[in-house]
Amino acid sequence: MKDQNNTGWVFVLPAMLILGFVGLIPLITVINYSFFDIFILESRFWVGLEWYGGIISSGRFWASFGRSTLFSVLVLVIQIPLGIAIALCIPRRKFWVGIALAVVALPLLVPWNMIPSLWLALLNPDTGILGRAMTYIGWSSDWKLSISLTWWAIIAMDVWHWTSLVVILCYSALTTIPPSYYQAAAIDGASPLQVFRHIQLPKLYHVLLMAILLRFMDSFMIYTEAFPINAGGPHNATMFLAVDLGEEIKAFNYGPSAARSVLYFLIVLSVAWMFTKAQGKLDNGQSS
Amino acid sequence: MNRYLPVLKIIGLLSFVLFIFLPLIQMTLLSFVVTLAKPDADVGSFTLDNYSTIMIDPNLRSAFVNSIAYVLINICITVPVAIPAAYAFSRMSFLGDKHLFFAFIAFRITPPVVLTLPIFQLFSAIGIVNSVFGIALAHCLFNLPIAIWILQGFISAIPKEMDEATFLDGYSRPRFIWKFLLPQIAPGIAVTAFFCFMFSWVEVVFARILTTTNGKPISMAINALFGFQTDIGLVMAVTVASMVPGAVLLFAMRNHLSRGFKIGQV
Repeated sequence: MKDQNNTGWVFVLPAMLILGFVGLIPLITVINYSFFDIFILESRFWVGLEWYGGIISSGRFWASFGRSTLFSVLVLVIQIPLGIAIALCIPRRKFWVGIALAVVALPLLVPWNMIPSLWLALLNPDTGILGRAMTYIGWSSDWKLSISLTWWAIIAMDVWHWTSLVVILCYSALTTIPPSYYQAAAIDGASPLQVFRHIQLPKLYHVLLMAILLRFMDSFMIYTEAFPINAGGPHNATMFLAVDLGEEIKAFNYGPSAARSVLYFLIVLSVAWMFTKAQGKLDNGQSS
Repeated sequence: MNRYLPVLKIIGLLSFVLFIFLPLIQMTLLSFVVTLAKPDADVGSFTLDNYSTIMIDPNLRSAFVNSIAYVLINICITVPVAIPAAYAFSRMSFLGDKHLFFAFIAFRITPPVVLTLPIFQLFSAIGIVNSVFGIALAHCLFNLPIAIWILQGFISAIPKEMDEATFLDGYSRPRFIWKFLLPQIAPGIAVTAFFCFMFSWVEVVFARILTTTNGKPISMAINALFGFQTDIGLVMAVTVASMVPGAVLLFAMRNHLSRGFKIGQV
């Protein structure tokens, strides 16, 4: 049982103040801007929902939305099972656990703007390891001209960059399983698959929900990494939601970019809300 | 099937590690190669010049200093603020606690690009753009929720009886946190600080918009190296160098890494 009183608010107050300052105030500013036509910040005209209407009715927005959704789905379908599998493969010996986790976490240390450069260097047909290997086996096509190959390059890059986080999250959940569970399973003669299905997977639910949330949102709004790979090409086939927003901000279109930001934040909110619901269901399911 | 499982696991792990290493090997190889024609060296030959340039170039040197400075400031803001919040989420039940937790998480998953413009305006109004302090504060947006989450897991792992025993001895909550809880969760604080370091060190969206003239961190210094003729060897060398502090910390922390991120029954 936890203490039932409201002194907890005192303890979370500093965190709320900071997040209010760097999160809430900018958010309200953006919402405010999104209803105005702003040429310079001192002179603005109320335009109501005009920007929103413009974005919602544009085919470009929905095309980007569709591409981002597809990208996130592919990323989740690959990274979550792969992350679980690798977490299960981490050796039992303590010495190797630390080494394995540290090695796996290395991609998280690369500055984000360098990740596309690393992959471009790797895939370079003249100097890259992978690029030359592909040329050597005669599988050399100019991947930048192909929509599907560009997609796979970006997905491979994202898998490389972020699967580690899923591995670390899953592994930390796996370590909470008491050894007696495994012993009991061994006595019952449970197969590895049964152990996974009935002992390991239930322990992973909470952490997986969090991993899915983080990976979904970060890939849905992929910005820094995706664009440099092929400049959104070929034929805008890799223009994602956040790239569109970035272009508007660079062009100083305050109103439209603010409206777009608000729309994106609404997406964030609805995803977070669904996550809350799922979390609640999980908690109820476990206590009953 | 059961007999081969350990072997399969090792093969699986090793192939993943190979996949992880491939771009890193490429990066390291390139960092030792002359990639831009110079009078005294041919393109493609081995060189250490890329690394010595880092030592000489004042922009790159100051970029390293800036990066370390803002990451340290960020940790100094995040950790002390996150500890009481994590304690409250772990031990106390208050009106709206779950909603607040998810509000925090919602800030973590808000894409930085959504907030760049107003944060830039807000920070220039109070005069902290082009300074390491501005970046440090902006990065709290995603580091603070993550820090609260990690610390909450560590605090929940400590038996509640310990709190109660000290309260019976007449300790107040703040004194209990200071004298008993902090030593207990020291590894948790280290893990939290490490993840703050990691997410802050590599971030570029806020770092770009908040440092137009001054205070550029290492990621922006690398960006500045791209131009009409990019010396990709130097770029890779700077990237390797930028990973060194993180890698050292990572290996120092390796046995504690997996202990954060526990989601108990909140």
